[in-house]
Amino acid sequence: MVPVSRRAFLKGTAVVGGTLAASRFLFETLDAVAGADALALAPFEDRVFTTCWIGKQDCGMTARRIDGRVVKFEGMAGHPRNDGTLCPKGQAQIISIYDPNRVKTPLIRTNAKGVSGEWRQASWDEALQVVADEVNRVRAEDPSLVLWQKGRSKSEAIYDNAFTKAIGSSKLGHGAYCSDTGYRALEYTLGLHGVLNPELVHNRYLLAWGWNLTNAGGNKYCWIVWPRQMLEAREKGLKIVHIDPRLRAAGPFADQWVPLRPSTDLALALSLCHELIAQGYLDRPYLTKYTNAPYLVGKDGLILKQTVGEGDDAEEVALVWDLATGTGRLATEATEPALEGEYTVNGQTYKTAFELFKTHVEDYTPEWAADICGIEATVISQIASEFGENAQIGATTVIDGIEVPYRPVGIMAYHMAQQELGFQALRAMTMVTMLVGAVGAVGGQLADTTWKIHKNYAAFEELTVNDPPYDFTLKGSRYFPINTGFPGMVAKVMQDPARYGVEKLPKVAILHHVNPVLAFTSQPDFLESYKKFEHVTVISPWMSETADLFADVVLPASTIEKFEGPLSASDGYIDAQVLRLPPMDPLFESRGEVDIYLDLAEHIGVLNGADGYIDQINVALGLVDTPFALPDGPRPEVRDIFDRWAKSQGLSGIDHFEQNGIWVKGLIPPTSTYGYVTDPPFGGAVHRLYGESLLKAQRLMQEKGAEEIYYQDYLPFPTWRSPTMDSSPPEYEFYLISYKLVEHKQSRTTLIPLLTELSGKQRIEINTATARRLGISDGDEVVVDSHNAITGETRSLTTVAALTEGIRPDVVGMPHHFGSWSHPASRDLGPTPNEVFFTGEGYMGQTADASFQVKVKISKAGGDS
Amino acid sequence: MTRYVMAVDLNRCQGCRACVEACKIENNTPSAVFWMHVFRLEEGEYPDTKMSFLPRPCQHCNNAPCVKVCPVGARYKREDGLVLTDFDRCIGCRYCEVACPYGVNFFNWRNPDEAWDEYQVPFDDPDLMPVTGGVIPSYKNPDHDRLHGPEQRLTSGSAHFKGVMEKCTFCVHRVEQGLLPACVDTCPVGALKFGDIEDEGSPISTFLRNKESFQLLEELGTDPSVVYVGGTPPTSHAREIERPLTGV
Amino acid sequence: MATTQDMVSDRLPQGVGRWSRGWLLFMALAAIGVAIGVIGWAIEHDQGMAATGMRDLGTMGGATWGVYISMVVYFVGVSFAGITVAALIRLFNLEHLKGVARMAELLTVVALLLGALAIVVDLGQPLRGLVNLFRYARPQSPFFGTFSLVVSGYLFSSLVYLYLTSRPDAARLAESPSRLQPLYRLWAAGYEPTVDQRARDRKATFWLALAILPLLIVAHSSLGFVFGLQVGRPGWFGTLQAPAFVVLAGVSGIGHLIVLAALVRRVLRQEHRIGIEAFTWLGRFLMLLLFVYLYFVVVEIFTSIYQPTTTEQRISDALLTGRYAWIFWGSVAALVLPAFGLAWMAVTRKWRIGWMVIMGLIVNLGAIGKRYLVVVPSETHGQLLPYPIGTYAPSLVEYAVLIGLFSLGALLIGGFMKLFPIVEMEETP
Ligand SMILES: Nc1nc2c(c(=O)[nH]1)N[C@H]1C(S)=C(S)[C@@H](COP(=O)(O)OP(=O)(O)OC[C@H]3O[C@@H](n4cnc5c(=O)[nH]c(N)nc54)[C@H](O)[C@@H]3O)O[C@H]1N2
Ligand SMILES: Nc1nc2c(c(=O)[nH]1)N[C@H]1C(S)=C(S)[C@@H](COP(=O)(O)OP(=O)(O)OC[C@H]3O[C@@H](n4cnc5c(=O)[nH]c(N)nc54)[C@H](O)[C@@H]3O)O[C@H]1N2
Ligand code: SF4
Ligand code: SF4
Ligand code: SF4
Ligand code: SF4
Ligand code: SF4
Ligand SMILES: [Mo]
Repeated sequence: MVPVSRRAFLKGTAVVGGTLAASRFLFETLDAVAGADALALAPFEDRVFTTCWIGKQDCGMTARRIDGRVVKFEGMAGHPRNDGTLCPKGQAQIISIYDPNRVKTPLIRTNAKGVSGEWRQASWDEALQVVADEVNRVRAEDPSLVLWQKGRSKSEAIYDNAFTKAIGSSKLGHGAYCSDTGYRALEYTLGLHGVLNPELVHNRYLLAWGWNLTNAGGNKYCWIVWPRQMLEAREKGLKIVHIDPRLRAAGPFADQWVPLRPSTDLALALSLCHELIAQGYLDRPYLTKYTNAPYLVGKDGLILKQTVGEGDDAEEVALVWDLATGTGRLATEATEPALEGEYTVNGQTYKTAFELFKTHVEDYTPEWAADICGIEATVISQIASEFGENAQIGATTVIDGIEVPYRPVGIMAYHMAQQELGFQALRAMTMVTMLVGAVGAVGGQLADTTWKIHKNYAAFEELTVNDPPYDFTLKGSRYFPINTGFPGMVAKVMQDPARYGVEKLPKVAILHHVNPVLAFTSQPDFLESYKKFEHVTVISPWMSETADLFADVVLPASTIEKFEGPLSASDGYIDAQVLRLPPMDPLFESRGEVDIYLDLAEHIGVLNGADGYIDQINVALGLVDTPFALPDGPRPEVRDIFDRWAKSQGLSGIDHFEQNGIWVKGLIPPTSTYGYVTDPPFGGAVHRLYGESLLKAQRLMQEKGAEEIYYQDYLPFPTWRSPTMDSSPPEYEFYLISYKLVEHKQSRTTLIPLLTELSGKQRIEINTATARRLGISDGDEVVVDSHNAITGETRSLTTVAALTEGIRPDVVGMPHHFGSWSHPASRDLGPTPNEVFFTGEGYMGQTADASFQVKVKISKAGGDS
Repeated sequence: MTRYVMAVDLNRCQGCRACVEACKIENNTPSAVFWMHVFRLEEGEYPDTKMSFLPRPCQHCNNAPCVKVCPVGARYKREDGLVLTDFDRCIGCRYCEVACPYGVNFFNWRNPDEAWDEYQVPFDDPDLMPVTGGVIPSYKNPDHDRLHGPEQRLTSGSAHFKGVMEKCTFCVHRVEQGLLPACVDTCPVGALKFGDIEDEGSPISTFLRNKESFQLLEELGTDPSVVYVGGTPPTSHAREIERPLTGV
Repeated sequence: MATTQDMVSDRLPQGVGRWSRGWLLFMALAAIGVAIGVIGWAIEHDQGMAATGMRDLGTMGGATWGVYISMVVYFVGVSFAGITVAALIRLFNLEHLKGVARMAELLTVVALLLGALAIVVDLGQPLRGLVNLFRYARPQSPFFGTFSLVVSGYLFSSLVYLYLTSRPDAARLAESPSRLQPLYRLWAAGYEPTVDQRARDRKATFWLALAILPLLIVAHSSLGFVFGLQVGRPGWFGTLQAPAFVVLAGVSGIGHLIVLAALVRRVLRQEHRIGIEAFTWLGRFLMLLLFVYLYFVVVEIFTSIYQPTTTEQRISDALLTGRYAWIFWGSVAALVLPAFGLAWMAVTRKWRIGWMVIMGLIVNLGAIGKRYLVVVPSETHGQLLPYPIGTYAPSLVEYAVLIGLFSLGALLIGGFMKLFPIVEMEETP
């Protein structure tokens, strides 16, 4: 777009090729020159495009530069997600680029691990060689014992796919702490890779279910996108029912606040199902046509099926009762399947899945749920009827000339899925929307931006449960037939492999953009397990706590001064993509990750050849057999890689992004937004009201000798039981929950003083009346003791009381984000709640994911007990 | 004749404080200085709790107490409605500050350079020199070295001199270039609007046309140039929650 | 009974020009005090006013005006009494008070100097201040009334006043040889000890006194307006301010005058010049002012019990029962007790100078307290938007500067006493 400043250009050319030392020497001298005549020249100002480095939705930004020095980031106009605006984090990141507390050069540890690190600076070559040797040593034995662990990843193709394939390592993500419970539930129920969000713009009645609306993401996005759409809908009359122990999340935008007790979402969802059925709000056509509700289920709990076709294309097809013929027929052939009733097919009696569901939720009355959730029964019936009314069952509307069912009701839920009963809770919540046929309707329920059916949908039809030995993630184990890949469980396994029938543990870890010690629940478990690695390399711009304690080598990644992507820029209505472009040269001796992985691949010796890194990049970016494929030659320039990708997309090249900032592909057609009108409808998935494979899995687990705690929730219908933590002794009278602040991003921004200045330090939110009872006043130091109902272990932290009328009296809440000690600005801000959360049995979900609730007692610091 | 007005749409404000941050970066204000502040307020008792957000820039009063009391005319009102401070003339008596009912004035208590220390980001780090030339802060905005307006006075940006008063300038340096104030520009949900109220066709005029609106502390007769749409003036029962780190 | 003889003798009167050990000690202490003040201010100047306890109103939750401004108000108040008494003495030719006339004038000048300094130390840009306050003076600003008018105009006129009224003595002293003779010559230059010259002088001083009184009222009212006109500061706004200011000003000034008079009377053995009648008069005057002021206090308390707005309620709660209660009631006591003490003496007609000195000191503590309470609580508790309650406590630097100011006052008065008779000499018929 705008000409590059003379100085930046000189620097650019200087850096090219030369080793970093050399280039720094070079551009420093060049700089002196520039500096000298800078007096003569007026400052050179220009603007370049880039994307937010902090956030999850990669908002587009323009960087205002003075002589190549960035002085401000502003939102990129026309970007579907943030259209010219930025959140506080987007604004504040400017100061972190220039932070001299960044890791400036590669570092090699000089002291023992497990304590705060001491380091010596190393050249890139030396550091990379150390890492390469470790990796190769273990690869020789078994590549899968090299663990590539990530948190966020901004070039999935090039990092997650290409690099791990090239070195053959195992992968581990942070999803089990994020919202993967919900992903599994939705993949299982609808076949979609996402959690729950309404089609917000047309939505009129929203259950904001643990949606931290004014602070955080909701399904998939970082922030900005949903609030904008919410306001648009609200101006058209959207009503928001805020189901959350805290009011702060939806704040002024909560039309009704339902302060339910934490981890009782399953009970509430089940009684909403009860009420919808009782009040007759049912979309029968949807249920019969697109779900397994009409399938005939035998007394054994199995679906009556018939094999059709021969040989390879032989498949099992479920039977339904066809009212037209009065016989049991293949679901694929029946013209008028019965939704309810009991029928006899060849001498056996069967009930429809829906019939069973009705009976299942019969006892889940509002009165029943009221006690469990700690809310009024009348509120539950009221919400059910308003939800049912607003669903306008049967209504349709025309969007872009296409007639689509119109059900302007839905649920927004994301990270709240991380609770012990999360998987079934999210299934039940989905069912609430299924009953009224809101799934895939205009203004109705969505979980993803597309209806592409995720591979797990098929995989979950037949869950495998093997005998030990298991790999260290317990994949296909008797513990977690559905397995997210849970760092918390891995931490447990690494401390006691035998207990879980694991023989081989990972030996080398490469940590990419992840900080388990701080960001993951149950800090003590990570403090233990990371000692077990023979070698840990951390790739990060800052010394993360995990690096501080456990890294042998730290490789300084750039923050925003790097090429990354491609990244989606879609807001669900407009399709667009962006690349992160460096607004200036990497500061200090940092390098972009793509550079780092190319260097690593080179040192490991997997850059070239078939299945080499270059080859894998071609595959991952879809460049194979295109004129733009990277030649299997010397290490490519990062800019060139993205230039080729851009060209392969039919663009002029990376200059398209340099000039326009973004590639807007156009409007997303209703035929890919609304499940009812995709081809085939809902991507061809039959929505699973009845979870037969869960029941089968449970039986297998029992056969293989899994304990009840593992199999108890593998049930075809979501079934309430009280969470394990509730059996903690009564003096642990409070539920501790956690959440995000709009000013911070996970554990990685408290080192940005501009943000902490806005957010304040760590605190624990306590209901005013509760505090009064405990003699605690605002600003007092309080001790928080947590209790593990299974092991009896207790943990403790101290923080500061923040009194509010916006939280349940039996709940206390702490923002996450804090607890960092490895940066002068983030030190002394207070602890992370992850110090007192637990993981493992009783404090994780059935699909191997974290729970973020625990029972605690609180007392004024210094006071007794 | 131009007269600039800012409108705050309380039906949209998310209380995110992006405006605060944008202001701090655009105007290079050091720690604990909030030319823009966003109150997060709570009223009532559980479970009948109400929450609200209230952004608070300088109100650029048309009948500004701060201007009246300034003994040397360093605080002055411009034709276009902006109330500015002449950093070259201010003697630091802080009379404007006690006279202002809105608590928007910030005095340079410290030496400008020391004022950044709380951030613990040493901008003078030698390794930054090649890129920043050692300016403080590293993202220093050169616009603030310029004089502004027909009156050609030093009125934009922060931390110029120790012992001098400052406050929100309505981003005079941006407005002069035809840009929106930094806070307005960044607001993720368009809760802030800015423009010339005298111009019938301007977005702000259209936005405010036949809308209910109020000014803060209307009863004092200061006649602010900042008008609030939606919501209600904060009552005396409002409790502020989630305060920023505001100490020096 | 002094005679004209010892007045024209080469021994200068009232110990002028002679250094007693006590005086030296006194001056040494004062000098140390001044040094402390200078150091304090140096620190403040170097580190910026962050070295004080003051902070911004609003989010920072501080008070941006503190003891310094309280002291400006206080000192200007003291000066008020001085010049009033002096003027009254001239206007009504109160013979029995002639003895305190000059020290009243001196007190005025000194207090005004200190007031001016208190403003200067409170400025973030003192040097700019000295220039800009005149260069860009804005009469519309009540501050102009305080600084430019009161402190400069009024300081100037009272200096002239002091000069005129002291010339006769200067002339007389200039006649006899002494180390200071040159100074007195200069002082008395152009003065003819003739009868009509004396008449002319008396006329001049009379008119000047007449001129000073209204100037004075304006000045002090405007000082009241510095606070009184602020709609944005609950507790400041209100017409009561100005008169209350003037009266309390009188209280503190007369208080000082009594102390000073008693000291001089004792140290310089001036019982014959400063008779008990002088004290009776001052005592009655002080008592009168005190009762008038106490009326204002009652009104203040009364009204603050039913406050219109919650903010004002918050402030008066802080005053009457809250954080500032001890200062408030302390000050009230410091004004009530002397009031009744004086009343008692008035009734019994037994004027005890010792007691009066103590009362003079106490009422000044009370006055300082009240000045502080006018300035600070309306800042810390007077926010109209939902900001946190503010806090303010003077820092060591501020205390140091205060010590410096008072010491400087002592130094000046002490110095003057050795240069010139602080008690006007009797005229030779
Ligand atoms: N500012 C900011 N934005 C972010 C992020 C960030 O770190 N900072 N992170 C991004 C990421 S990675 C994610 S995953 C999303 C998360 O986006 P969200 O899920 O919307 O936000 P969270 O704060 O994680 O959600 C926690 C909410 O659930 C409530 N809650 C806690 N326990 C329960 C419960 O048992 N039941 C119910 N019903 N509610 C409960 C909490 O009170 C809180 O309001 O945010 C994204 N956006
Ligand atoms: N108690 C509690 N805990 C939570 C949550 C909660 O709500 N409550 N939220 C959970 C959720 S939703 C999530 S998604 C996880 C996220 O947890 P993580 O994925 O661990 O994310 P961060 O905590 O941000 O850690 C990222 C680390 O990567 C490094 N890093 C930062 N920028 C870069 C970069 O540009 N490149 C590279 N290579 N490294 C970088 C930094 O060292 C930083 O510490 O946290 C979870 N933790
Ligand atoms: S919303 Fe997320 S991505 Fe967008 S600016 Fe804020 S932090 Fe960055
Ligand atoms: S940026 Fe906009 S939404 Fe955020 S606090 Fe400011 S005004 Fe409110
Ligand atoms: S808000 Fe305060 S500072 Fe701003 S113009 Fe009004 S009185 Fe002056
Ligand atoms: S501080 Fe400066 S701007 Fe404010 S009144 Fe005093 S001189 Fe005027
Ligand atoms: S207008 Fe400019 S100076 Fe005023 S608050 Fe907004 S950004 Fe800050
Ligand atoms: Mo997440």
